Amino acid sequence: MAELTLRAVRKSYGTVDIIHGVDLDIADGEFVVFVGPSGCGKSTLLRMIAGLEDITSGEISIGGRVVNDVEAAERGIAMVFQTYALYPHMTVRENLSFGLRMNGNPRADTDRRVARAAEILRIDALMDRRPKALSGGQRQRVAIGRAIVREPEVFLFDEPLSNLDAELRVQMRVEISRLHSELGTTMIYVTHDQTEAMTLADRIVVLRAGRVEQVGRPLELYGNPTNQFVAGFIGSPRMNFLAAETIGTIGGGTRFRLVNQGGAVIVLPLDRPPAPGEAAVIGIRPEHVAPAGAGDCDLPLTLDVAEHLGSTSYLYANTQAGEPVVVQAAASDGARAGERIAVSIPAAQALAFDAQGERLR
Amino acid sequence: MRRRNITAYGFLAPYLLIFAAFWVWPIIYSFWLSFLFTRRQPWTFNPNTTWGRLVEDPAFWNALKNTLVILVVQVPIMIALATVLAVLLNSTLLRARGLMRFAFFAPVVVGEVAYAAVFRLIFSEDLGFVNKALAAIGLPEVAWFSSPTAAMALIIMAVTWRWAGYNAIIILSGLQSIPDDVYEAATLDRVSPVRQFFFITLPLLKPVILFCVVLSVIGTMQLFAEPFLITNEGGPGSATETLGLFLYLQGFRVLNFGYASAVAYTIAALAVLISLLNMWAGRERA
Repeated sequence: MAELTLRAVRKSYGTVDIIHGVDLDIADGEFVVFVGPSGCGKSTLLRMIAGLEDITSGEISIGGRVVNDVEAAERGIAMVFQTYALYPHMTVRENLSFGLRMNGNPRADTDRRVARAAEILRIDALMDRRPKALSGGQRQRVAIGRAIVREPEVFLFDEPLSNLDAELRVQMRVEISRLHSELGTTMIYVTHDQTEAMTLADRIVVLRAGRVEQVGRPLELYGNPTNQFVAGFIGSPRMNFLAAETIGTIGGGTRFRLVNQGGAVIVLPLDRPPAPGEAAVIGIRPEHVAPAGAGDCDLPLTLDVAEHLGSTSYLYANTQAGEPVVVQAAASDGARAGERIAVSIPAAQALAFDAQGERLR
Repeated sequence: MRRRNITAYGFLAPYLLIFAAFWVWPIIYSFWLSFLFTRRQPWTFNPNTTWGRLVEDPAFWNALKNTLVILVVQVPIMIALATVLAVLLNSTLLRARGLMRFAFFAPVVVGEVAYAAVFRLIFSEDLGFVNKALAAIGLPEVAWFSSPTAAMALIIMAVTWRWAGYNAIIILSGLQSIPDDVYEAATLDRVSPVRQFFFITLPLLKPVILFCVVLSVIGTMQLFAEPFLITNEGGPGSATETLGLFLYLQGFRVLNFGYASAVAYTIAALAVLISLLNMWAGRERA
């Protein structure tokens, strides 16, 4: 078990910077998820921690030891790959024990570790099969098993569930969560799926274009994002963003006019209000949009598409100026396309961002 | 027959006719021929003079022995060399990879007569570069064309030179189909690059290598050009006479078509047999 520290870690290929200086402290036993859109550098960062990619500058330490120049094999980490990367010509048992056998680990200890991993992952029945005779979910279990037998200080997962179907993904998510609580090892998990991030992580690191946008506990990111990118990335369906213009202050609040809403005005309590006339963006999550009259700023909308999921309904609507707004409503099968509906934004749940996407507080 | 089938066979007909006339018919006819006594007109049915002679003809057994020696020595050396070459050609450290790959493949493109002539020059006993080089470093010169063993070695070197790069390119394609992350996983499993080669690369290359071995066995069983062109029709004496060359000499020098046909069928049967043995030995075990 080990804590992990990144200090000003950078990566560039020639003149192209991929990772722009990442600072991060990961506590012993913590489950940290790197999340971000494709190409944000999250996998590269993980591979740099693993030692499969060199770092251009900065410092990575694992368990208090700087590992910049330590070979991947000696870093005390184990990695689970997106494509499983199983040895195709070996049985499950051989896959699990290969690394230990190659390093002259005593036979009895190897057998014990393999048996334990098989038990944890419930793959005992598959031990003599080859990877090609396994389903995707089983292969991923074997890949995780191979990581477990190494008894690493840090587990690294590189999008391990993205090749699985939706149902299996949910199931494996639960298993990985259970694995973490059983082993208590530090785990770093890369995904582009914010649901995985929200459900698995102790802490989430949101990355965009090689920069850390925000680090925090899942609900902290959900409730208190530092910028519009994080606000939009965390949460599904994503947060609604409405173009606004600062009008001025009134009492302790700042008045914003929603420019695409025909003059609707919302007042948000901000400590540092922007200057009147400045452009802004008001964010409200679909689940926070209230029925007309129940909030602080009523909006008339035209319904485009309604998705009725049974327990809840998502209404995809547009303002008069064509700005899309998604509303999560209690189960109702009343709403039909083309219908006019009225909703309201509760000021307490709304967030304000400046024109650059930074949060206004 | 449906209309579109008739059209399809119509388009195929010219090929099928030529295939039947110049491929299928000679194969059937030569099988029949292998039972005929063809030294004197009219040809008569007399398998004793063909298949019967085969069993007791020391020249045939000599050619078979030479062919098998080349097979047993040359094929393993060449495949091992090709595998090493493929790994080198696949290395990210290698500069001008495209050019290198072409260079090693090029011998196959060169005409047999041209390359044979160059080998004769290089290995020429008095003037050749090889003997001059051996002398320069104080080693005895080798009688490449008059010593049976040296001549055999020369044939083996020539065939290896010509086909190693070709096999390397095939093995390279196999190498490239092994995903990088398997090696990364092995690296994290603390498996050294050398062990990765023996425990991951080689087992995963097995089907491709087997394919190359089968191709090479078939090629070597038919080996003709090198002993014909480089060592003066299987010389010295008949020390490098292969089955292919023996077949040619019987058929087109002695004009004993019946016997040559029997030899041809023997070569084909042996190639099939050895290939099957290879495939059986290298089969995927459950």
